Amino acid sequence: MRFARTSKVVGVAAVAALALGACAGPDTGGEDTDSSDPAQATGGTVTVAETNSFTSFNQNSATGNVDINGKVSTATQSGFNYIDNSPEIVPNEDFGTYEVLSEDPLTIEYRVNEGVTWSDGDPIDGGDLLLAWAVFSGHFNDEDPEAETGTTYFDYAGDTSGVGLSGLPVMGEDGRSMTLEYSEPFADWESAYDIDLPAHVVATGGGLADEQALIDLIMSAPEGDPENPEERPELSAVGDFWNTAFDTTSLPTDPSLFLSSGPYVVQDMVAEQSMTLVKNESYTWGPEPMVDEITIRFIGAAPAQVQALQNGEVDVIAPQASADTLASTEGIEGITIEQANDLSFDHLDLHQGGVFEDENVRRAFLLTVPTQAILESTILPLVPDAVVRDSQIFDVGTPGYEAAITVNGSEEYNDVNIDMATELLEGATPEVRIMYNADNPNRVDAYTLIAESATQAGFTVVDGGLPATEWGAALSNSGEAHDASIFGWISSGVGVTGVPQLYGCGSASNFGQWCDEEAQAAMDELIVTTDEARQDELSTIVDRRLFETAFGLPLFQGPGFVAVADRVQGVEFNPTQTGVFWNVWEWSVTE
Amino acid sequence: MLTYIVRRLIAAVLILLGASFIVYLLTAVSGDPLMDLRASNSPNREALIQQRTDLLSLDVPPVLRYFEWLGGAASCLVPFAGTCDLGFSVTGIEVTTQLSRAMGQTIQLVTAATVLAILIGISLGIITALRQYSGLDYGVTFMAFLFFSLPVFWVAVLLKEYGAIGFNDFLQDPVIPLVALMIVGLVSAFIWFLVSNGSLKRKFIAAAIGFVVAAGILWLLDITRWFLQPGIGLIVILIGGVGIAYGMTLLTAGLKNRKALYSALITVGIGAIAYFPVQPLLDQATPLMIFLLAVATVLVGLAVGYFMGGYDRRQSMNAAALTAFLVAFLILLDRFMQSWPAYVDNGRIRGRPIATIGSSTPNIDGDFWIISLDTFTHLLLPTVALMLISLAGYSRYSRASMLEIMNQDYIRTARAKGLGERTVVMRHAFRNALIPLATLIAFDIGGLIGGAIITEQVFAFSGMGQLFVQALSRVDPNPVMGVFLITGILALVFNLVADLVYSVLDPRVRVKA
Repeated sequence: MRFARTSKVVGVAAVAALALGACAGPDTGGEDTDSSDPAQATGGTVTVAETNSFTSFNQNSATGNVDINGKVSTATQSGFNYIDNSPEIVPNEDFGTYEVLSEDPLTIEYRVNEGVTWSDGDPIDGGDLLLAWAVFSGHFNDEDPEAETGTTYFDYAGDTSGVGLSGLPVMGEDGRSMTLEYSEPFADWESAYDIDLPAHVVATGGGLADEQALIDLIMSAPEGDPENPEERPELSAVGDFWNTAFDTTSLPTDPSLFLSSGPYVVQDMVAEQSMTLVKNESYTWGPEPMVDEITIRFIGAAPAQVQALQNGEVDVIAPQASADTLASTEGIEGITIEQANDLSFDHLDLHQGGVFEDENVRRAFLLTVPTQAILESTILPLVPDAVVRDSQIFDVGTPGYEAAITVNGSEEYNDVNIDMATELLEGATPEVRIMYNADNPNRVDAYTLIAESATQAGFTVVDGGLPATEWGAALSNSGEAHDASIFGWISSGVGVTGVPQLYGCGSASNFGQWCDEEAQAAMDELIVTTDEARQDELSTIVDRRLFETAFGLPLFQGPGFVAVADRVQGVEFNPTQTGVFWNVWEWSVTE
Repeated sequence: MLTYIVRRLIAAVLILLGASFIVYLLTAVSGDPLMDLRASNSPNREALIQQRTDLLSLDVPPVLRYFEWLGGAASCLVPFAGTCDLGFSVTGIEVTTQLSRAMGQTIQLVTAATVLAILIGISLGIITALRQYSGLDYGVTFMAFLFFSLPVFWVAVLLKEYGAIGFNDFLQDPVIPLVALMIVGLVSAFIWFLVSNGSLKRKFIAAAIGFVVAAGILWLLDITRWFLQPGIGLIVILIGGVGIAYGMTLLTAGLKNRKALYSALITVGIGAIAYFPVQPLLDQATPLMIFLLAVATVLVGLAVGYFMGGYDRRQSMNAAALTAFLVAFLILLDRFMQSWPAYVDNGRIRGRPIATIGSSTPNIDGDFWIISLDTFTHLLLPTVALMLISLAGYSRYSRASMLEIMNQDYIRTARAKGLGERTVVMRHAFRNALIPLATLIAFDIGGLIGGAIITEQVFAFSGMGQLFVQALSRVDPNPVMGVFLITGILALVFNLVADLVYSVLDPRVRVKA
């Protein structure tokens, strides 16, 4: 009995040992993995902190149009050009060339270099050129939002009105070139068109046989007409695939959904946590990247980014700049901080009616605005060499800006002139209600300083500050709910089609309802002018008229900064949406 | 009973419907989803507004939109059909995908903190109740309230500053200055002073011992470069094991029960003998293996207790099983420490092991031990932050409950019939003191999934709390509703569970059907 019990125990123990052995992990060679890997990994990995998390491999779609998606795209896609940190358009001739064949009608030939491929080996060619055109031109769209008929095939987040001026492209004999002919000149043609997603993937994903079938479909389908919308199921399927298939927070099981044509390719993704980019083996054109691997970590809170940098978990941070964030970053040893202006700018707009009907009242009000004092209390602590922005149109530091400020009449408002303002008012005490975002400390500072100064000249200033959730909707109530507003625009850095959007007569974003014949004529010419020098001249006219008619005042450009650990070199601030990733191939690591 | 449950479930469904309607409307009117586009100067602003209006059906009044959402959500009730449709977020990601990921993150973040808070909180509560109005009681009460009233974002940032950045800096050159040794010693002396019992003289002696022990151990660790090459070693495991054996026997059976004590000591011996043979096995560990080993360890303990027999087998088995488990834990800890230098030297860690963000180091590779250590170094600080704050609740509740029980007549009866203090406390008082806590724990487990919004933000965890807050700030109703649905269902279910458990635990409470 005793013996039997013992033998049972031994039996159970033996079975247990076998079971444990069976569930043991694969023998990874113990210490080998630990010793071989670090040497390789420290050779060149850079970790970048980003505020938003990645959501889509299609940065051009309505849902995928988030800054981080564009940044990843910058590192993983090449194109005919990119925007540097000046910001200026830099052609990328390693990828392909584009040539203006004729100014009138504006005709451009795009040609991808031979041997340029997607990371699955499929060449970048005519189909890819054509798909990008179909998306950016909105050629087939026949949706009428009022009547709720028709379809928008590709939910493109950009503006289709520019490339939409071009007719059906002519494909080149070599199969990797395409010629676009615009019905009228389009000022921003250079930045409005580039390669988009791989056509062979979109074609098969949309239910077509191959890339050639997509080319045939695009070349044969008639242009969309909102008056007579028609059902086009094949194109709809392609469009649906383009709109939704690339949205993901984790690495797709189908590698064709994240093909690369740039220096890096996505290797791994952890949803809302991190993303890993490694060198794209098939990238043989263009500058070769030096860093083996780039890890992007998504950290929403700015203080958490700063502490992660301090703890060495990330090497590069570019959080929203605030005095607190900058101060805590400056306390860290072993890093370099680069401060600069970004492309947002705060400005004071007057409603061209009501109390501000009279130009003298507008002028008097603007003369009281203490632009220098506002700069000192908001931006100067963050960007020590910041200056008051003296142009409504040109960004500080660009060549156009330097030329414009000497002639646009902005110097009249450089200094506060209460005496002259009082004189212009002739004893009147107009009541001015100023609307601003009361949850934004910079705007509150600006309002307080303006109100204090304007009161001295005889204005009665009414505080029209609104909470963050309401002020945006109130902008379009200009004239009824308020007489002036302080808010910000974000400049795109390149291109001029944004100008009439803000200052054109009756334009949707012209909340002050400013309308000036001379400026309007200049803007009408501007959007069909492709010559850069002439573009600057025309923009300067609009800028000058804005100051001459006392439309309002630009205040300052927003601050931005990037902090980089000393082990990483080559990272530079870029005020545009691409962030630090614009020169990813110049990054390097020293240990 | 059954009718009661059915009635409660029907009520729960109605509550959920009503609450979801209110939450949907509140989310819809909480802000302007087109906010960022209205202030945009993009040339195609109108088209972008139109796109988002279509995506979120903003042209449909919120009340009707709710029913559209409800239609999709109702399809989740069909089991295994895979038709669950909770809609898409503004960025085009399916809410069901977002929820499952966020739930995983939250559970990972909060589980350890909750379990530890419950264990430590209840123990502290019981101990302070037994020593009511002593220095220990006041000390623990003071600390509990202090931690309770600290804002979590502040604690979290401080923990990151000193617990992560400071500690990692220290690891670069681990030399403990004399002042720090003194301070640690004094803190330890103070704690020993509070914990010890008896005359003032005895308390001061305890304080002196506390000072010497803490400062001495720290000094020893310092000069042996223990922080760079940590380890426990067989000797310390053996000494610790004997201590554990005595402690566990004291709690479960009393030291007078020699059979129980010997069972516990025998398991310590088995653990020490198994220490070397088990090492090669541990080198190839997987989570499943660790779990099976834990089960096996407990079984060995139970077996030892069973074979030792005695007048009350159960007591021996309990003492031996608990001891076996804890000794095995020490061996596990020792194995983790063996992997520590490799982890710290890993190319992705670069000598700074304690992390301030996220739940893992991206792309780290290594065996089970390296990966587990990575998880540990990431979860350490958020767990401490969450635990410190929820400790107060548990310790106060259990203290109050224990005090009430200790003054009951049946406790006096138990003492009067000559039972030892250990039996009175552990058998008669402790179990009954836990009954009111069942409700509290059930609620907390239900609320666990809701996420810890601020802690998640500070430590860059993308759990339920962050999903909720970010969606709310974008006025994106679908993810908000997804989070609400999960937390709402859990709250209602655990409410019901708490009530049912209560009636099972306490015979005086009966469910009237």
